[in-house]
Amino acid sequence: MSTSPRKRPASEALVAGGVVVLLIAIIGLVFWSGAGAQLYPPKPVTDRAREIAGLYDIVFAIAVAIFIAVEGLIVWSILRYRRRPEDIDLPPQTHGNNLVEVLWTAIPTVIVLVLFAMSWSTLNQVDATSVAQGQQPDVRIHAIAGQFQWQFEYLDAQGKHLATQVIPTGDKGGGMAVPVGKKVYVTLDSGDVIHAWYVPHFLFKRDVVPGQQNHFEFTVDTDEAGQTFHGQCAELCGTFHNAMHFDVIAMTPADYDAWLAKLVEKANATPPPPPSGAPVLQLEAKNITFDKKALEVAANQPFVIDLKNDDPSSITHDVEIRQADGTTVLQKQEAIPGGTDRAYQYTPLPAGTYTFICSIHPVANMTGTLTVK
Amino acid sequence: MATHALSPAVPAYRGGLYEWLTTTDHKKIGIMYVINSFLFFLIGGMFALLVRTELATPGIQIFTNEHVYNESFSIHATVMIFLFIIPMLAGLGNFAVPLMIGAPDMAFPRVNALSFWMLPLGGILLLSGFLTPGGAAAAGWTSYPPLTERLPLSSPGPGQDLWIAAIILIGTSSILGGINFLVTIFKMRAPGMTLFRMPIMVWTILVTSVLVVMATPVITSALVMLYIDRNLGGSFFLPEHGGQAVLYQNVFWFYSHPAVYVMVLPAMGVISEVLPVFSRKPLFGYKAFIFATAGIGALGFSVWAHHMFTTGAVFLPFFSLMTFLIAVPTGVKMFNWIFTLFRGQLTFSTPLIFAIGFLTMFLIGGINGAFSAAVPIDFALQDTYWVVAHLHYVLFGGSVFGMFAGIYYWFPKMTGRMLDEGLGKLHFILMFVGFNLTFFPMHMLGIQGMPRRIADYADPSWNGWNLLATIGGFIIAASMLPFLWNVFISLRNGKVAGDDPWEGNTLEWATSSPPPPYNFDRLPEIRSERPVFDARHGLVGHGGHGGRAEDEAPKALEEGHVDSQGPGRPS
Repeated sequence: MSTSPRKRPASEALVAGGVVVLLIAIIGLVFWSGAGAQLYPPKPVTDRAREIAGLYDIVFAIAVAIFIAVEGLIVWSILRYRRRPEDIDLPPQTHGNNLVEVLWTAIPTVIVLVLFAMSWSTLNQVDATSVAQGQQPDVRIHAIAGQFQWQFEYLDAQGKHLATQVIPTGDKGGGMAVPVGKKVYVTLDSGDVIHAWYVPHFLFKRDVVPGQQNHFEFTVDTDEAGQTFHGQCAELCGTFHNAMHFDVIAMTPADYDAWLAKLVEKANATPPPPPSGAPVLQLEAKNITFDKKALEVAANQPFVIDLKNDDPSSITHDVEIRQADGTTVLQKQEAIPGGTDRAYQYTPLPAGTYTFICSIHPVANMTGTLTVK
Repeated sequence: MATHALSPAVPAYRGGLYEWLTTTDHKKIGIMYVINSFLFFLIGGMFALLVRTELATPGIQIFTNEHVYNESFSIHATVMIFLFIIPMLAGLGNFAVPLMIGAPDMAFPRVNALSFWMLPLGGILLLSGFLTPGGAAAAGWTSYPPLTERLPLSSPGPGQDLWIAAIILIGTSSILGGINFLVTIFKMRAPGMTLFRMPIMVWTILVTSVLVVMATPVITSALVMLYIDRNLGGSFFLPEHGGQAVLYQNVFWFYSHPAVYVMVLPAMGVISEVLPVFSRKPLFGYKAFIFATAGIGALGFSVWAHHMFTTGAVFLPFFSLMTFLIAVPTGVKMFNWIFTLFRGQLTFSTPLIFAIGFLTMFLIGGINGAFSAAVPIDFALQDTYWVVAHLHYVLFGGSVFGMFAGIYYWFPKMTGRMLDEGLGKLHFILMFVGFNLTFFPMHMLGIQGMPRRIADYADPSWNGWNLLATIGGFIIAASMLPFLWNVFISLRNGKVAGDDPWEGNTLEWATSSPPPPYNFDRLPEIRSERPVFDARHGLVGHGGHGGRAEDEAPKALEEGHVDSQGPGRPS
């Protein structure tokens, strides 16, 4: 192969040059089109997130510099030191150089130590909490994760439970409300497997580990009132891991107080009694399985399904009425945590066959047939 | 002792299935490792394509439900790590190490055959999960409890138990292989082959074997505990019965982080053989490179918890510092490689092109890893597609490009035929373009907030990058076609390689292609880490590494060869 020098060095040089031009063109196109901006984090919206984004900017700058320098050195060496036809004698057989070895050990060591020191100092700010400093946070929220839904318990400053918000099923319309400009202290708890509380705009996630409470704190920027930030579970937690969404809803402190008062009022209110004469169907959920596969009810009259959730408290269930196809939703209900029960009221249905299903665990074990006749 | 051996009386590879099924020849076993691993690469790649196809657009399209998606990425990763990358590199080592140190075979040829045959068995065990009720393991290749504790909608069926059994079996194979390598390297070197004259490939296999022998029993313990929890009523990882969920992660990553180096170090070894040969220079900083390899191996045991920064159960500063520090020996290697090219005379044969692919892509895998070493940034990146990008730049951009460099480099030695250069370059271009299209956009997806391991995504702005990644995935798949065609036609009609087609440096090029049983009839004198180079250029006796070959008076290589019969020659 290489015993004789190559005949046409120019063509390979052309190819190599073409590759370099192409690479530069691609990088240029990426930045020109604005796609490169997506290598930056989304807009940080909390005090902690701004710290992390600041650190990201520094690491990103160093990373780009190292990338260009080293990648450039590789490309240049490839282009410059192609074997040419006149290269019959061996090149100088350099075995190494202790000075440069020391240099390229020492300089990177200094760089990574500086990076470590910066990230450590940022970490101390990100991980700091009022509670750890012996102070009271403004708001305490207890986030409970279970397959595959979040519950948010609102506590008063002393840690007394005020109300629980089980986030409504579906992608939109519920989640964790927080007042802007206030220190929000979150405690994480899981009743089953490991989940992770992750909000991209917070640049933050923390695992929700069963048997171990994790805490963190943040303050949402005051100009973010009225904004909603999407969050979702980031640690694989089972079949419907991808459906574990929640929203963080930033409110002005006044709006937040009103919202919380309403939630407390709702939690303390006695549920309206079921319409008299409406038939009550009993249904029990245990081990993510309904005890009945078939329910029957008379046509054109309201009815009640009394759901008893016997799973651990972190596991929520509901009973949705869907068309027989199992996907078209007709009547939704709010999910209830394990260890509780609720009489769900449904409006009259015309005669036919329907599906009842738990929208949080839409599997065969939690699907049944509702016959209306 | 010195005798002149006769030319081999038997052809290198006797045909027949029986011969291959019963062989204890390290070269045949090495080739079987490579073929077996490549088949699993195709299987694992098929699962990757299923995953990428599902994610091309939002919604659930090709899978009947999310559980099947979870099975697919779990089996994809498990197959790629345990049945492709680790055994492929072990296979290249199996073929090359005895040749490179001038040994007739591995120290324990039968144990070597046993290690190999455990692998297809482990693969069958793993994949047979699909035939069981509940399907194959679906909890990711990490299989964290309590998700794997037989809960509904997690891992109810025997698929997870088959996964445990398969990994224990494959791990046992690794341990046996590691011990075999260690004994071979320490006891079977040819006269003159001192430790500091060993090829870097042998050094990386040596360090890799130490990692394997020290770390694999630890993951086995984690898997045994998990099995007891699942099947015998144990509660090692169940908090409601006094167990600890995060304990598994500590034990798991105590193996699985060093396993990253098991997957990368031998590929670095391949690169360190290829770059000098095709630039006609010795490796720059041979000893520094060895110390860097050993340093990576040692530091590799002190960084495991950087996979767990968000668990809230880790001493963050220590693991952050160690993770940053491991960039230093890795950087030393990178600079040594580049300075090997520097002032060389580069011939762009396919092995060199894949080696350069390794350099350029592994660099990105190192740099994007530094983001996660900074703990606060890792709070944003952990378990997002950024991590998927990072690990593929290391394991695909690094290990896979490196192993293809090795396959193109040693194919002539394995088969006696050259691979076609044009098809090889086509393979490289498709794989390089497809690889970057697939994995670079994952940085954007990750920092914008897309978690990994989700069957569906709600944010429509993630669609473009996902579609691009899917297109790239199919280009990678397409790149396998010229490779397979290349192997097929080259085996039939390829150019005959001869003993030393690349002007190699190391001892495998001093014997025929393919080498005879027990490898060598005679060995050149070993006076440096490049004995074949010395012999070719009439430079022997320059006192090992550190001397400048060109400074010394050229001396005709004497025909006095060293007897190649090592102490471990089977009777």
